[in-house]
Amino acid sequence: MSSVTVERIRRGRIDSLRYVSFALSAVAAAAFLGLVVLFAVEALPFARRAGWGALFAERWSYRTEEFGALPMIYGSLAVSSVALAIAGPIGLGAAVFLAEVLPRRARIAGKVGIELLAGIPSVVYGLLGVLLLRDWMLRPLARWDPLSGDTLATGGVLLAVMIVPTVASLADDALAAVPRSQRWAARALGIGRAGAILRVVVPQALPGLFSALLLGLGRALGETVAVFLVIGRQDNQWPERLLSVAPLAAAGQTVTSKLGGSETFVAYGAPVHWGALLALGLLLLAVVAAISFTGSWLALRRVPRA
Amino acid sequence: MLRTRFRLLLISLASILAATARPALGAEPLRINGSTTVNPVVVDAADLFRAETGSTVFVDTQGGSSGGIAALGEGRAEIGMISRELEPDDRAKFPQVKFQATRIGTDALALVVSKDVWAGGVKVLSRSQMQGIYEGRTTNWKALGGPDRRIVFFNKEPGRGTWEAFAKWLYGDPKKAPVVSFPEVGANEEGRNKVSSTRGALSQLSAAWADGKTVFALAIRRDDGKVVPPTTAAIADGSYPIARPLQVVTNGAPQGLAKGMIDLLLSPRGQALVTRHGYLPLAPASAKKRIP
Repeated sequence: MSSVTVERIRRGRIDSLRYVSFALSAVAAAAFLGLVVLFAVEALPFARRAGWGALFAERWSYRTEEFGALPMIYGSLAVSSVALAIAGPIGLGAAVFLAEVLPRRARIAGKVGIELLAGIPSVVYGLLGVLLLRDWMLRPLARWDPLSGDTLATGGVLLAVMIVPTVASLADDALAAVPRSQRWAARALGIGRAGAILRVVVPQALPGLFSALLLGLGRALGETVAVFLVIGRQDNQWPERLLSVAPLAAAGQTVTSKLGGSETFVAYGAPVHWGALLALGLLLLAVVAAISFTGSWLALRRVPRA
Repeated sequence: MLRTRFRLLLISLASILAATARPALGAEPLRINGSTTVNPVVVDAADLFRAETGSTVFVDTQGGSSGGIAALGEGRAEIGMISRELEPDDRAKFPQVKFQATRIGTDALALVVSKDVWAGGVKVLSRSQMQGIYEGRTTNWKALGGPDRRIVFFNKEPGRGTWEAFAKWLYGDPKKAPVVSFPEVGANEEGRNKVSSTRGALSQLSAAWADGKTVFALAIRRDDGKVVPPTTAAIADGSYPIARPLQVVTNGAPQGLAKGMIDLLLSPRGQALVTRHGYLPLAPASAKKRIP
């Protein structure tokens, strides 16, 4: 066999493998599109009755056919903001320690540990939240005198614990992708270790760090079971002042806790109500997809420079 | 090398397809879904049924009573469990399904409070007092003879048999209940845990689940002034005002495995399970005699 023939066969196989992998990716993409179309079609009865805009009202009461989801959107944003405010600094700090301070072997051990944490099923975190967090939260929230430990803040703190591994692990990847030579160059110029990290490595890894935060946020927004167990699931908690802290010490509802509740069983078979819930699902899908796409795009854009 | 990989790929694809296809051999399983109140009785009966017939039985509690109706309506279950009456709404949602309910027992609905409220002296509530709490007019236990503490009311989720029975008692018809906003609880276990772990808590719970150790069942002051606690005797003679049926529902008359299961539930052994879990069996007097 001449080398030309071998080359031809090899190329042919690579081509066929390429077609197969293309076909499989196409299946995944089609499944996603099909899902969106199905949701949109099922949500139509709601859109026809009330219009998509009806989703952005303040009152949800399915028995009077009012489907305003603003309080749930507020709940989702509030819970995720609390989570990000706590998990952001901790996750990024842990990543700097992992990537820049620890020796290589210890870094890998630490990373494995963190990724193990990321793999714990969310219902386990939820049960821990019920067991420990609900009572514990009464103390830091005492100023606002919460009725019970089921509050938006409790959900936020629980989510923070859950997304720290995601943020830390992705941020560590971003920092590690900055070439060694950059650090050496910085040190050679007489910049100390801390200075090199803060002024050279972190700025170069910035898009990747931002993407770690965004992907953490995406996980927080989509998380259901754990939040469901500690948030109280109280409808129509539209706060008087949007940016105040007090509403965080009260029970609330997120888009996911509403969709995870038993109302879906009541709605099934009632087209308008069912449509409203699916419109809510579509909204959640759109927001999480937008955040994840942006996050992944930023992560990919991070091209290592030698 | 590449060829082997390609073959591996094909084999794994084929095995995925094979795994998702329905197994052709083996008997169809009996699938049961619905109310968490009916669930413990059916789970025990299913254990007996499996041991005796060797058939496969799945019991689940997705979505409570409404979940049971939905699972039956969509053909995801052969038996639905409900802790309430069949409603015209159920039939309207699934017009092609012939819902047929078989009653297996009776349960009362209790208003349960946490230990601090009970110890603080609240032992009785009337319908109008409960309406005051539900409509947000009464917010402190002090107004009801209890400690100076805010009332933390955990409302049972919509679609739960417990909530339907509660709203029926409070307003005559669940549809007439005002739209309110409270923290919500789902399954009986969740309701009991949240009430027992929250100070000043109140919720609706199946009377059989009110253990008197972690949560405490209040007596009801009836409209005629009589105070009735949810005891077995008071539920049996109808003097306790909030009772509801425990039922299993089938599409048309029960057949095959479903019939076997329901016959077991109606037999003395099944009825003994109803009693063991704190509910009232169908004919209390005659069933009591048969319990060994």
